[in-house]
Amino acid sequence: MIATLSRFLFTLLALPAATFLQAATSHIDGPFESDIQPLLQEYCVECHGGKKVKGNIDFTIMTSPEAIEANFEIWELVSDVLAYQEMPPEEEDNRPTSTEIQQIQDWYQQRFIQSVEARPGPFKPRRLSAPEYRNTLRSLFGFDLETTIMAAEQTETEPSLVLKLLPTDPPGNSGFINDTHAAPLSSHAWEQYAYLADRVLQELFSLQRLDALETLIGENLPPAFRPTDLSPKQAKALLLRFTPRALRRPQPQSHLDSSFAHLNDLSGLALVDATQTELKALLVSPAFLYRGLLFDGQPAKTQRVDANELAERLSYFLWEDMPDERLLEAAANGTLDTPDGLTAQIDRMLASPKSISLAQSFGAQWLGLADIDNADNDVNMRRALRSQPYDFLNYLFTENRPVMELIDSKTTFANYVTASFYPKDKAQMVKYKKPKGIEKQTVPNQRLTLTHDEGRGGILTMPGILAMNKSPILRGTWVLRKILGERLGDPPDDVPPIEIAGPKANLTFRERFEQHRSDPTCARCHDKIDPLGFAMQVYDDRGVYKLDPNYKTPKRAKEHDDPAETLDTSGQLPSGETFANYEELQSILIGAKRPDIIRNAVECTLAYALARKLEAYDRPTIDAIAESIDETNGTWRDLFIAVSQSLPFQKTYVSAPSTPKRDS
Amino acid sequence: MNQRWNIDRRTFLRGTAGALLPLPFLNLMEGKTQPLAKGLANASSTESPPLRFVTLFKPNGVHPPSWNINGGTEFDFRTSPLMAPFAKHKDDLLILDNMGDFGFSSHANSTRRFLSGHHQNKDSASVDQVIADRIGGDTAHRSLELTTEGLFTGQIGCSYISYDKDGGAIPRESDPQLIFDRLFRNPLSDTSQRQSMSNLLDRVNDDAKALSRKAGYQDKQTLDQYLTAVRETERRLETLEKNSSAPRIDFSTLERPPLASNLNEQVDSMIDLIALALWTDSTRCITYMLGNSNSRMVFDFLGVNEQHHYLSHFFRNFSRSNLDNLLKISLWHMEKFDSLLTKLKSYQESDGTSLLDNSVVLFGSGMGHSDNHTAQRIPIVLAGNGQGRLKTGRYLRYSENREVSSLHLSLLKTFDVEADSYSASDAPLPGLDGSYFPEFRERPFESWATRKAGSITAQGRLRMSDNLDEAKVFYIDIAGQESVRIEVVFRDFHDFNLPYHVGTPITLTGNGSSNGSQLLITKVTELKSLFGNSKPGTQNG
Repeated sequence: MIATLSRFLFTLLALPAATFLQAATSHIDGPFESDIQPLLQEYCVECHGGKKVKGNIDFTIMTSPEAIEANFEIWELVSDVLAYQEMPPEEEDNRPTSTEIQQIQDWYQQRFIQSVEARPGPFKPRRLSAPEYRNTLRSLFGFDLETTIMAAEQTETEPSLVLKLLPTDPPGNSGFINDTHAAPLSSHAWEQYAYLADRVLQELFSLQRLDALETLIGENLPPAFRPTDLSPKQAKALLLRFTPRALRRPQPQSHLDSSFAHLNDLSGLALVDATQTELKALLVSPAFLYRGLLFDGQPAKTQRVDANELAERLSYFLWEDMPDERLLEAAANGTLDTPDGLTAQIDRMLASPKSISLAQSFGAQWLGLADIDNADNDVNMRRALRSQPYDFLNYLFTENRPVMELIDSKTTFANYVTASFYPKDKAQMVKYKKPKGIEKQTVPNQRLTLTHDEGRGGILTMPGILAMNKSPILRGTWVLRKILGERLGDPPDDVPPIEIAGPKANLTFRERFEQHRSDPTCARCHDKIDPLGFAMQVYDDRGVYKLDPNYKTPKRAKEHDDPAETLDTSGQLPSGETFANYEELQSILIGAKRPDIIRNAVECTLAYALARKLEAYDRPTIDAIAESIDETNGTWRDLFIAVSQSLPFQKTYVSAPSTPKRDS
Repeated sequence: MNQRWNIDRRTFLRGTAGALLPLPFLNLMEGKTQPLAKGLANASSTESPPLRFVTLFKPNGVHPPSWNINGGTEFDFRTSPLMAPFAKHKDDLLILDNMGDFGFSSHANSTRRFLSGHHQNKDSASVDQVIADRIGGDTAHRSLELTTEGLFTGQIGCSYISYDKDGGAIPRESDPQLIFDRLFRNPLSDTSQRQSMSNLLDRVNDDAKALSRKAGYQDKQTLDQYLTAVRETERRLETLEKNSSAPRIDFSTLERPPLASNLNEQVDSMIDLIALALWTDSTRCITYMLGNSNSRMVFDFLGVNEQHHYLSHFFRNFSRSNLDNLLKISLWHMEKFDSLLTKLKSYQESDGTSLLDNSVVLFGSGMGHSDNHTAQRIPIVLAGNGQGRLKTGRYLRYSENREVSSLHLSLLKTFDVEADSYSASDAPLPGLDGSYFPEFRERPFESWATRKAGSITAQGRLRMSDNLDEAKVFYIDIAGQESVRIEVVFRDFHDFNLPYHVGTPITLTGNGSSNGSQLLITKVTELKSLFGNSKPGTQNG
């Protein structure tokens, strides 16, 4: 309390207010300047502007309509914290009246909800992410570029040469790595692309890959054919088929002619060389490495994307891969432009094994599944823990399961390594028989139907999810951020980590923790985090269910892992709902919190599909999809279809040449 | 001399893309008048060839009864059954015995110790890296760290033998094609590669500019970003072109090794590359792990379906077929060592010596007895005399256990690195250069054989058959007489634990017969160790 007070005094003395008023002179639209700005000035700027910028929220940057618009997430947060009376902090004497709060809420409603019309984002080419590039190369050539390494059991390898050599893509502003807008191409990466192109072409023209070469040329090769036997006719046939596929759209004859010109009068080795050069030039060209460079949109106009662009959007969304021939066909004959045609393609694509990317890329990045790698020291266990959510998500995504089954499902997946998490239900499994002489083996999961009350069901109770978040705080934060879509800031730098040492006598970890986090600064987030997290403490750090009659406390249990006997999993959410245990919390999640969970799922799916951060003008799209999923208990398939038919997916705005900025 | 150049040329021709038909590289190898001289840049016949250091690491220790040399002295010794594949190089070998550490060892500890002297040495460079600093300076690649198998993350130390100056594990590479390309297809070091890269850059620039003419604002931004990256590569190539002293060999005619379809092909390709990399003076220091020290690999191409580590616990997982399979794998490792030596001998240097003459090759494992993880009597063989610095053709069995770090200190001396100590040792291992070393002295014993009715008693040193396909056959060597052959039934194998006594003198009685001059025992009735029953791993024999 003293610490808070002194911070408060310091703020008063520093008085950054003047800067704000000066900076924000004209330019700002009426109601904001006249009604909102003074309130912010009065109640907020002390801590959120100028010298002091707590929680990274700075109101002094709102100096133009564009700035207000671009920071729509801040305003969403403002509306939330006012609704739950989280801000200004309780101990603050100077608090807005309910009329003033309503004034801000009304402005927010008007500015960001009622007046907002959906519109597509500006058209932006983007580089293929490393996995997209790997998959595209595989689909183009019909084989994978692999690293030569022995992948013995219990060892970790990177089988893909592409992923081994290309720099790892960081998550973009959308949180997904396919959002490569912010990760510019480096010359190192370009050299790796050039090298990989070399490698794939060397392999294509080797005796081991005659099948692939035959497919690319499109005619049966005679027996004993050697790559140097390539005829000029075959070389042209190869380029003719390959070029439009690589560039993901039909190519003008002029482009092909200029490519053919390089092959004139050549034969044998020289012809192979020249053909390889043509292919390599294609594979390192921007039109191949980037998505969207060949889309010929009309400048300064909102428009539907053409069928080829739509096909690409769809295939990189559902497959993380280039369109296949049937999709390109649907683009060419116009069926992709019809809702039925689009749905038919989506169904076909979800049925393809390539849709595993939805679980392995979209799902894994959304839910942060890479962290499962820290869950256990044993590779075999780690892999088993990781494969469960992958298989579960793949099941939800591709088998037309309701979106809400993410939280509440009777289906799960396990192998002999994870079987012990399901003491009774594991009886359904075909028993694993270890081959002689193999010490530990990674094997696929089997599908389980949860029929016993063993504390399992849905993503939250998956052992890997629990084991990668080894404390009530991490678990609560994970659910808030990843499942409920809450934008939690980072803890403030000036708050010391909570002291949990102290006398242990008769106090559980939870009791000690709660004693020590009474600081209102902490409470703002921890009131939300802790009830969720402590309810999940019914699972120990390994993800084992503590209420199982045969449960044994691990020998070296962490301090935060209160034993089953003293466990308190009850709580109250900031929105008022109370629960006695995890089961009741789950009922709240699938009941009162259902709209939040669905909305978050929609936002994450849309951001991944568009490969960009969502903006204020996407809100109507999100609202409409979320509402319809909620009303119809929609499935993931419904969601994918709705996203694919949505305005930002189907349309775009192409900026005018040499205009530095789009008109607002 | 005709035997030189017997490089397996198919390695370069096999799987030919068709792109590389003329092979001046082969001419060059065959042209005895123009072997590669020291360094590509400064070939000069007056300079002596450079000195190289190669390490070949064998996973999972050994099965001592088949690896250890039984008895024998510095110049008079009989190579063990497992040494058969490389025994033909005997004159180029320095076989070290009684090397290691006391007690037992985890896989990870024994791996760290192999080149770092001691498992606690976790903050300084392994010996190969110290040597690389000394000899690798003016080569394109200071050193290469190679392996075959994925990372064993459960016990990460099992996957590395080479460590940098801060004791950090150095990433390993396993892909022969990638190594080949780094050595011989690098636009940054190869003129012809640079030229084709530069042509590609021109082409790409033109394409991008054509696109850019009709591009919108966002597209232009993207294209600018792309062209910036491309221009940076261009500039770097130009700078290199200006500053480079062109290599004498056009590597572009070398064929890339084909895709390996199993471990055998992968290792064969890598050994080819090791020899080529050393001969072209692309690097002078290479470490190669044939597997993690606890390798889980399955040698299906040898018809073995159990994991190597499982089999290496030949006691815990005992069965006749498991032992047979373990020995098949061990023999394969020995064949790869042989193959490396044969390759190194087949390359000629500017002064007519072979590549092996200018190298020191260290072969071995971090562990001795692979079942009980003994760190004593670990297999260590040095090959190549390092331009006369080592005196090869000998078997050095030290009177008492010698720490591996003392060998490392000696190797530093061999490579002219000034060091008073390395890791746990401040005294080098004596004898490598032919100097005095305290040799192991056995207690004398008599050997004889008698036959009474159907019973035979023999006293002498027990050894395994040289033919490892018949792991049930043992011999007792008798001075001046043909060895007594013992064909044990499974039960005796177990009851009397013959492998445990291999290398030591015993008195054995059994039923049998004589086959001409050879006595044959088929049923053991009694076995007595002459010098008592010491515990496994501590006995002298």
